[in-house]
Amino acid sequence: MDESELKKKIKEMMVENLMLKISPAEIGDDQPLFGPNSLGLDSVDALQLVVALDKNFGLKIPDPAAAKKILESVNTMAAAVRDLQK
Amino acid sequence: MDKRIVLITGGNGQLGSEIGRIFLEKTTDDIVWLSVRERRDRADALMARFPDRCRQISLDVTKESDWKAAAARIESECGPLQVLINNAGKHDDALLASMPVETWLDVMQTNLQSVFMGCQAFLSQMISRRRGRIINIASLSALLPPPGQTNYAAAKAGVVALTQSLAKEVARIGITVNALCPGYLDTEVFNGLPENELEAIRQRVPMRRLGRPEEVAAAVFFLASNDASYITGSLLKIDGGLL
Repeated sequence: MDESELKKKIKEMMVENLMLKISPAEIGDDQPLFGPNSLGLDSVDALQLVVALDKNFGLKIPDPAAAKKILESVNTMAAAVRDLQK
Repeated sequence: MDKRIVLITGGNGQLGSEIGRIFLEKTTDDIVWLSVRERRDRADALMARFPDRCRQISLDVTKESDWKAAAARIESECGPLQVLINNAGKHDDALLASMPVETWLDVMQTNLQSVFMGCQAFLSQMISRRRGRIINIASLSALLPPPGQTNYAAAKAGVVALTQSLAKEVARIGITVNALCPGYLDTEVFNGLPENELEAIRQRVPMRRLGRPEEVAAAVFFLASNDASYITGSLLKIDGGLL
């Protein structure tokens, strides 16, 4: 799976699992997920993302510190999935 | 009603096996897992009646590794769990002034920590389906703590608080979390109690009788049903009007 295909799948996963009211294409690759000027996700969304990343890509996020880094943006999630596949 | 995968801890106890019986009798598809330890007589009897839908799993609810193993086994054999009933518990009464720390810790671990670990073990399965029911068996002691039960009453009050907090965390994911607070139940707990003491207990209860395990099991079944879909973070006391 190439880079853009992986990011597209991550965005589709986000919209489906978090029931976002936007389309996958509206999520920026580098757009922050949490905090100011972000997608506006919260801790419950993060919980769902952790479960969805495991279910869809086999990516197990071991602790909150790792989650904070991996769940910064679509780019960071894609990088974590790629690292897993190496 | 869709087929559900159900786990009942303390599945060989009078209440736990009664809850299992109601799920097995009132549905045709539910798969019911009963957690057991040394004694298995009641669980064996249910398995004999429902060999295709009743299963047993060895689980020490105080051990995180047991919970993880149980979650993995149930998911691999049946798919994601939909209904978790944290029923296992114990009491070991003593006055606080003379209660060994070990007794305090043992009762806290079995009644409270076990609920935390059980919820944690199975939440990801429920989150991935955006569906789940968690029903925690607390106790009237959480609301009306008697002397001699500082450990048990505190643990069960903790279960109530955990229930209400977790319910808010997962409400929008389609998972409900509720607690039941049974009062005096006609179970083996009262075996050997002199009749005059038993009668004194009955006289304290406005209904003038002990509750039956099936009366609690019926409430558990309701909370697990689609009819209870808007009920979460609730506390249902089943005590014959005692409180």
